[in-house]
Amino acid sequence: MNLNRSFFVPVNSPLHNLNPLTKLALVFSMILPAFLSLPQLAPFLAIPILIAVFIGRVQKQYFNLLLKLVLPTILFMFVMQSLFLPGGETVILNLGIFDVTRESMQSAFYTVSRIFVMISSFAILLLTTHPSELMSDLTRRGLPGQFAYVIISTLQILPQMQAKAQTIIAAQRSRGLDTESSFRKRIGSLVPLVGPLVFGSLVEVEERAIAIEARGFTSKRVKTSLHEIPDPAFDKILRGILVILVIASFTLNLWLS
Amino acid sequence: MAFVTLHNVTYQYPLTQSPALQEINLKINEGEFLAVVGPNGAGKSTLCYALAGFVPHFFKGELTGEITVDGKKSSEATLDEWVMNVGLAFQNPFNQISGAKFTVFEELAFGLENIGIPREEMKVRVEEAMALTGIRELADRSPYSLSGGQQQRVALTSILVMKPKLLVLDEPTSQMDPIGTREVFSVVRKMAEEGMTVVMVEHKVEWIANFADRVMALKDGRMVLEGKPNEVLTSDMLAENGFGISRYTSTAREAKKRGLWKKENLPVTLDEAVEGFAK
Repeated sequence: MNLNRSFFVPVNSPLHNLNPLTKLALVFSMILPAFLSLPQLAPFLAIPILIAVFIGRVQKQYFNLLLKLVLPTILFMFVMQSLFLPGGETVILNLGIFDVTRESMQSAFYTVSRIFVMISSFAILLLTTHPSELMSDLTRRGLPGQFAYVIISTLQILPQMQAKAQTIIAAQRSRGLDTESSFRKRIGSLVPLVGPLVFGSLVEVEERAIAIEARGFTSKRVKTSLHEIPDPAFDKILRGILVILVIASFTLNLWLS
Repeated sequence: MAFVTLHNVTYQYPLTQSPALQEINLKINEGEFLAVVGPNGAGKSTLCYALAGFVPHFFKGELTGEITVDGKKSSEATLDEWVMNVGLAFQNPFNQISGAKFTVFEELAFGLENIGIPREEMKVRVEEAMALTGIRELADRSPYSLSGGQQQRVALTSILVMKPKLLVLDEPTSQMDPIGTREVFSVVRKMAEEGMTVVMVEHKVEWIANFADRVMALKDGRMVLEGKPNEVLTSDMLAENGFGISRYTSTAREAKKRGLWKKENLPVTLDEAVEGFAK
């Protein structure tokens, strides 16, 4: 069973050492201009993203994600958009009732660039930031503890539920449940699996609620955190610069259009 | 005055027909180690939840009577205040892992973070608690990668680290091997000697006889017997009512019928049995 339940890559890099909020600011300083500024901007944002991948020393994991997750998604979107976006004049390819036009391809290219920027920025954030560090920093800055708990525990509990589902399947199969014959039979087999999983999970949720409550989860005292998350002046200045850059890009956008 | 008092406590879960606890009257002194025994469905876990404030604050339902810990009434406190004084660890260790932390060390600090303990003190307390329960070598492991017994130790440690005045344990050794069980009982005994009051539900009667100060026996929500471990655990009443009893007690009881056990009192532990038969 895979025990590493986050994307986090534990290496030392300038990106890893940034404060989580600064990294989140970097992510949004990519995404906001990509989506809200001129569409022509989005493809160029791939350059800072690739630089960030190398600064963060997460090339291997990033390109792995890119191949398995990002490329299939954006290729699919590119094809669909090229085929179905209406209003193009310059027909490049005719496929029966569908026309692939120059305009639709261009628009598709801008859309997938935006998607690429969004997924990549978040991927780099997750690859270079330990989830509990991200959440404790955000909690310290006022994010409700319950919200952070839901995010973090999902990362851990989902694989546990998968493992439990496997156990239940094995247990039911050992009692003769059919999981390998026709599709219809297998749908029928789902019933004795879903029941124990769902009801079992509900009972677990109750017990877990008691367990964390017993450890002061809803205490009204001001929470502290085990790990100190440094937020040096450099980070604060960088965040300031990023805000200015984002505003500047919008202003430029308004001025140009 | 007693540290913990239960006065005429009766409690019924919502949507059930009969009370889970009926007219429980009990006093526990500070630093006392009270063991609770009883067959399944006797109300042992409900008693734990009641002491820890989850009955009725979490489970709702109707509680009559009065539970007092350290001079405070549970009916007048809110749950988040109550858990500051009363720690609860229960059977299933898996569900006691918070799920919010990636290492055992962080897991143990979770409760201290919640109640706002400063970072330096937090680290010291986690280290101390780990040394106490012997889980130092697990510090950097993921809590989910541990065995049931190890998780149980982590669950116990995560409560000990909060230094409750009253420690409530519901079968904390159910998934442990004999060595782990011995360690848990020793730790609990030590905490009691340092002044922590302990209520522990447990089936392992030989361990209770060796370590607890007092035993209470519950059946169908009522307290049927209460007193010194050796008196309670060897009583005929327990054997007749489906309670778990030590094999040494049952052996000696049979032996007594045949005139082979000469002593007045029956044994609970191996040592007592050996001593008794040697006479």
